[in-house]
Amino acid sequence: MGAGVTEPAPSTAVRTRAPGAEATPPRPRAHGPRARRDALTARAGIAMYILPALALVGILLLVPFGYTVYQSLTEYDGISPAEFVGFDNYVTLLGAERFHRSLINTVIWTVGTLLLPVLLGLLIAVLTNASGWPVWVRYAFVLPYAISGTATGVIWGFMLRSDGAVNQVLGAFGLDSLQQEWLLSWPMNTIVMILAETWRAVGISIILFLVGLQTVPRETVEAGMLDGASGFRLFRRIVFPQLRAVTVVVVGISIANSLRVFDVIWLLTQGGPGWLSETLAVTMYRQTFVLSEYGLGSAVAVVLAVIVVSVSWIYLRQQMPKRG
Amino acid sequence: MARYLRNGFLITFAILWLIPTYLLVVNAMTPSSSYDGSPDWFPGGFGFFDNLSKAWESADLGLGIYNSLLYATLSAGIAVFAAAFASFAVIVMPTRRRGLWFWLIYSGTLLPLQIFLAPLFKAFVDVNLYDTQLGMVLIYAALCVPFAFFVVRNYLTTVPDEITEAAQLDGAGWSRLFWRIHLPLVKSSLLAAFVFQFTWVWNDLLFGITLSTSPNIRPVMAALAELNGGYSSLGPPIVLAAALLVSLPTVVLFLTFQRFFASSLKPVG
Repeated sequence: MGAGVTEPAPSTAVRTRAPGAEATPPRPRAHGPRARRDALTARAGIAMYILPALALVGILLLVPFGYTVYQSLTEYDGISPAEFVGFDNYVTLLGAERFHRSLINTVIWTVGTLLLPVLLGLLIAVLTNASGWPVWVRYAFVLPYAISGTATGVIWGFMLRSDGAVNQVLGAFGLDSLQQEWLLSWPMNTIVMILAETWRAVGISIILFLVGLQTVPRETVEAGMLDGASGFRLFRRIVFPQLRAVTVVVVGISIANSLRVFDVIWLLTQGGPGWLSETLAVTMYRQTFVLSEYGLGSAVAVVLAVIVVSVSWIYLRQQMPKRG
Repeated sequence: MARYLRNGFLITFAILWLIPTYLLVVNAMTPSSSYDGSPDWFPGGFGFFDNLSKAWESADLGLGIYNSLLYATLSAGIAVFAAAFASFAVIVMPTRRRGLWFWLIYSGTLLPLQIFLAPLFKAFVDVNLYDTQLGMVLIYAALCVPFAFFVVRNYLTTVPDEITEAAQLDGAGWSRLFWRIHLPLVKSSLLAAFVFQFTWVWNDLLFGITLSTSPNIRPVMAALAELNGGYSSLGPPIVLAAALLVSLPTVVLFLTFQRFFASSLKPVG
């Protein structure tokens, strides 16, 4: 890879330039203004390297984050001056039916998009890994992952509308009684949107599990087979324990993604009918940019952030091998 | 018996998974004038380009594509270089409080994106960055930095210290070390981070609809969302044709870099 780069310091080169190199850095007894100035320029040099990334993240992400936390303690409609109200917004949220529904939907989404893509991804990865399946089978599952949430919303809207493909198929098979307005009643709309997201998201789990399966040593599997394990037992006792690291990553990604889902819901129901299919991510957007209740919207965003960070933290703490 | 069951299961699911994509392609091809109100299951006629030109007219899809291309390329590029500089400082240079810098920069990916939205919107309006190309490039670049930093930093830790020391003895300063030695060594991680972030920016809807509004500024997914709003008046073939077109770039990228994606996401350790 970098053969030419690893070698450009043969001993001859070092020796010829040694006097110059020796003069500057390793002088342990350098004190006084000169040494201090050197240390300062060194620190300034380091700052130049960190600064671009830190400035972008700091100014455009961390400052807004802090401001949102502050704004969640105020009442502000975007026009008249903001008024500090303490924890009133949070109290309002606690009592709002709409917020409860949003929380419930968020939990359903998290559980659903955790279980379905992860389990299905594992199953499909194991099955297609086993024997010589044609490539198209794998691509059938993986390709949707490259499609945006917005396009997924368009495609599934086409499937799920009252005159869409799903009702059409049900009608063609004489199952008219099953035809329905998939997106207009709760909890059906949340369930079908989770299926749409699963359609898109299962690809990444499959890819990661396939990578993980390739790291399972063949000898381990063969030893297990010699001991008489086969089929599901072989998988559960021998293969699955080896997939632990990958599973941690897949589940971690799924948790983070499911709590942030916005595009699919925005395209398919806009959180409706009314607000019945909103999740916290959608509630925040609507509260802030449609209803201009900045304080309440910020409080929703803070609640969402607390959930995302604490869930990820608890999960990673439990799963990461303890050090020392 | 178990074998048949397994194969049957897999084939059934694969076909189910293909149906939405198949319907997307077939119905995006259907001339919008001959669409009869219910989805076509078989190709009939070729109206893809007519459908696209209608989408082009009614939502300025072309401008959206141009903008997204601009934002995705520039922002991902800026972010990857900023991330590479910061990784170099945190891993190679004798920086103090490395942990602090790491968490400050990385914390951006832990938080849900919604938490940045409202203040950004207000601040962008105040400093005249709202609904400008510069504003979009800046925010996307900032959003891309944390994950790019994570990827490049991980990769940079695999470069042995001896290389740095040898080059320093050779008289190389920091900037020479960075450009000539470390950057070439972590090239593949830079590419992986770029492709990841390009895809992310291309696919973003949330910031597109929040921080821009006019057709000559907004990114392509915002244009697609607007088209979808006119679904019933325009007719499904036009909206589907647009969805198909805007999905092509990321699908091509994904297929090209599939292995790459997987290996750069692999847990280290």
